[in-house]
Amino acid sequence: MARADVVVVGAGLAGLSAAVGLAEAGARVEVLATGHAATHWAPGGLDVAAVPGTETPAAGLRLLAARPQHPYALLASHVAPALAWLRGVVAGSGLVYVGDLDAPIRPVPTSVGRTRPAAILPEGQAAALAPWAPDERLLICGPLGFKDFWPEAVAAGLRRPEAWPGTAGPARVDAVTFEPPGFRGTRNHNALDLARAFDDASWREAALVAIARAVSAAGPGPGRVALPACLGLADHPAVLEAARATLPLEPFEVPLVPPSLPGLRLYRALREALRRAGGRLQIGEAVQRVDVEAGRVVRVAVPAAARQHLVATGALVLATGGIAGGGLLATMDGRLEETVLGLPVEAPDADAWLAQDPLDPQGHPLEAAGVRTDGQLRPVDPTGASGGAALYENVHVVGSLLAGQRYLRERCGDGVALASGHLAAELLGSGRATGRQSLAEARR
Amino acid sequence: MIPSLVDVLVIGGGATGAGILRDLSRRGLRCLLVDKSDMGTGTSGRYHGLLHSGGRYVSKDPIAARECIDENRVLRRIAPHCIEDTGGLFVATRDDPADYVEAFPEASAACGVPCEEVPLDELFRREPALDRSIWRAYRVPDASLEPWQLIEANLADARAHGSQAVPYQRVVGMTRNGAQITSVELHDERSGSLSRVAARMVVSAAGAWAGRVAALAGVELAMSPGKGTMLVYNQRMTDTVVNRCHRPGDGDIMVPVHLVAILGTTEIRVDDPDRYGISREEVMALIAEGSKLFPDLPRMRLLRAYAGVRPLYQLEPPADPGDVRGISRAHVVIDHEQRDGVRNLVSIVGGKLTTYRLMAEQTADAVAAKLGVSVRCTTAEDALPGADDRHYYWLGHRLAEHEHQGGGDAELICECEIVTRDGLERFLDEHWPCSLDDVRRGTRLGMGPCQGGFCTFRAVGAMARRGTRDGDAPGRGADDRSPPESGAADDAAEEATLAAFVEERYKGIRPIVWGRQLQELWLTTGIYAGVLGVGAPRSAPQALVSGVNASRVEPTPGGRDGQG
Repeated sequence: MARADVVVVGAGLAGLSAAVGLAEAGARVEVLATGHAATHWAPGGLDVAAVPGTETPAAGLRLLAARPQHPYALLASHVAPALAWLRGVVAGSGLVYVGDLDAPIRPVPTSVGRTRPAAILPEGQAAALAPWAPDERLLICGPLGFKDFWPEAVAAGLRRPEAWPGTAGPARVDAVTFEPPGFRGTRNHNALDLARAFDDASWREAALVAIARAVSAAGPGPGRVALPACLGLADHPAVLEAARATLPLEPFEVPLVPPSLPGLRLYRALREALRRAGGRLQIGEAVQRVDVEAGRVVRVAVPAAARQHLVATGALVLATGGIAGGGLLATMDGRLEETVLGLPVEAPDADAWLAQDPLDPQGHPLEAAGVRTDGQLRPVDPTGASGGAALYENVHVVGSLLAGQRYLRERCGDGVALASGHLAAELLGSGRATGRQSLAEARR
Repeated sequence: MIPSLVDVLVIGGGATGAGILRDLSRRGLRCLLVDKSDMGTGTSGRYHGLLHSGGRYVSKDPIAARECIDENRVLRRIAPHCIEDTGGLFVATRDDPADYVEAFPEASAACGVPCEEVPLDELFRREPALDRSIWRAYRVPDASLEPWQLIEANLADARAHGSQAVPYQRVVGMTRNGAQITSVELHDERSGSLSRVAARMVVSAAGAWAGRVAALAGVELAMSPGKGTMLVYNQRMTDTVVNRCHRPGDGDIMVPVHLVAILGTTEIRVDDPDRYGISREEVMALIAEGSKLFPDLPRMRLLRAYAGVRPLYQLEPPADPGDVRGISRAHVVIDHEQRDGVRNLVSIVGGKLTTYRLMAEQTADAVAAKLGVSVRCTTAEDALPGADDRHYYWLGHRLAEHEHQGGGDAELICECEIVTRDGLERFLDEHWPCSLDDVRRGTRLGMGPCQGGFCTFRAVGAMARRGTRDGDAPGRGADDRSPPESGAADDAAEEATLAAFVEERYKGIRPIVWGRQLQELWLTTGIYAGVLGVGAPRSAPQALVSGVNASRVEPTPGGRDGQG
């Protein structure tokens, strides 16, 4: 049987943040996940809070933290340190994030010709954040025949003033295409194929020359060029640097539908950091069984080839996500189940789950469903039946499984994930969670 | 576009209306068909996809059973390309009465419906997902029938014979001069303009909406629309149509349709054919009944729920107004001259898709007689356009075509339904300008297991590209780089399209919001609203502060149309 100080279930931003933090603090960490998480389809920026009527993530954070039911009521003060910590961690893989909690929230283009509000973006997307000068144009440039990015449609969408709420958009939006070298006659490429091609230095050079020609031919004048987010995976920093050096206009990446390269880069940077710090990661199987003794999780079992993989553990971090991630499962009779421990879930009545309008700006009541915790992120009964006492002494809930957030409408998912993951690592790493010495310290 | 004078105006672009248009056109009449929406978006596009053998009606309604088997044979001859020859089964579960089951072969024989017993070991070998307690099975010639292709083929034949069919024309008024309707007023639902058409005869094939059309002529026609709810599963747990061997009830038919399977149906009387909901109880009852055929049903993933309204009409007032199962499925041609003193109005009500052609023939006979036309009906003999090779549709047909055209090198826009870029561009060229719905019905894009999550925005992209093509010819590369002129694409329509897509997914899933369906809805919403910024405006600050909107939610019809 394997032994860990902490088992983390779930490999999204929350789970990996907790795992890396714990591994860095010297704990033996094992991450178990059914599959990849939102990192693989999220646009790669860090959404802390983009709440209607607020100008900065910090303002949104304050607003949400003032609501006692929101995870930020507990986590608000942890967001800034967690963010700073993450920047340091991913910098090790050459990944740079631009913007901070006090940066203005600005509309940035998406790959269907809309915008979404953002303030903290990876360097590759950051050029989209600056306000548009009155004479500045935006050029949408995509590889010929790439079915997940249609420059004409993107440009048509971004020409509409409504696409730029509360601000002026570019003076002009045009679409151009370039032919990716050697791709003629080959089909069905996704962003990952293109990114891997960009990782190759000689291909990259030829492709950037083709892009530069297309951009130059579109006419003179100040502006920026939007490219689909496929500027390299392993060598992204080098690709970005080469693109800046080669292209006549400042480039920025536009996130695509899955697979999302900016999200993949973030995932890879965290995975590298975890491995550097000695943590383990196993992806592909759901937790089969959790053994509990005297109110504490003591063992976790996952299926492995031909046998069961058993891990004895001192603590469990639950980072399985909400409904989309599979941490919560709705039943036919209108209940929500927490899928690993069967924890009680706070949720509205079944007939009030969804709002009338699917794109209601207020979101759906069901979005806020999740697990309630105490001040140490330990699960409690939401009805108050346990008198607020933790249901498990050594289980900590992080990320979108936490009740009270509407990550889609409040755009707070990354902030909650980071801050809760960071807090869980801090609690377990320092031993404050159990009132005893930390596990890592005990082992030393 | 709208002619000012025609021989016959047909109202309603479902299978029946299209069939009438075809029939009358072949008798030498110049006709116009209009629909308030797109063709096949009413009852025809929202049915379960079953070409009846008649087996369902052998005991309850022998006349309907005979009509079904006759028309089944006709359609296999004239429209094989719209039919997947799945065959059908009537199976007896523990809940089905032995006397009904034992009498079934004889009742079928009496109606001329071919029926043979299938040994149980063969049954379970062929359809292993069926419940093992099934104790009897009969094979009948049921099949799966694609409505949009059928409608399109009927309209194409009518056009070839000089008639016209125009979508999005709502009939808003009729002018009467005594016993004669002198003109009909049409509202173009897209441009908002009004036009007027005079017709020697007006035929209402408006189905569940026939009462409203009749009212415009000052005639009362009381329809009893019967809602039927259906559930679409993400897989074919059966390759054969499966029916329960009992008196027709809820949740007792499973029809494999293309890549999915559809469980039907319920039957609930509704007052308004445009406003009806799907309740969770109704869905649960369907699944409970369906599980008697396929015990794993509660664990299978659903794609959507949808409902259609049967155009039921009752000659006699009902004993129990709520009982719509009791109302005959029989169709009735109503000559409003005899009934209401309106000389040039005929309505066709009741009926079912399987017998659409017969309904059209009888309606056309009535119209022809009134107009003094003696040309006889030819629609049962002559095959529909597209049926040239007389082969049935089969599931592997798209893949075979795809491989024939270069296989892996052809770019797939919709992976589920194998819609290639070339195929999509060809469709756009032939039908431009057109809507995403037209593309869906014409190519089946987005109707497979992912329900359009990954291909909708691609189709929108291809349409934007088609819209700007005058300034940006396809195939232009780095050496041909002048930027296209802006504004050619219809930005507003495109804007509405993506939001409408999310709304449709939502409507279809709302009545089945649990398990993987809910997870998929959340993922779709996450991608479209969260990542891509669709329809998520940064609205007024109070929107956030007011908190949970827990108002009671009215159920809505799931999905814009059936079959996927």
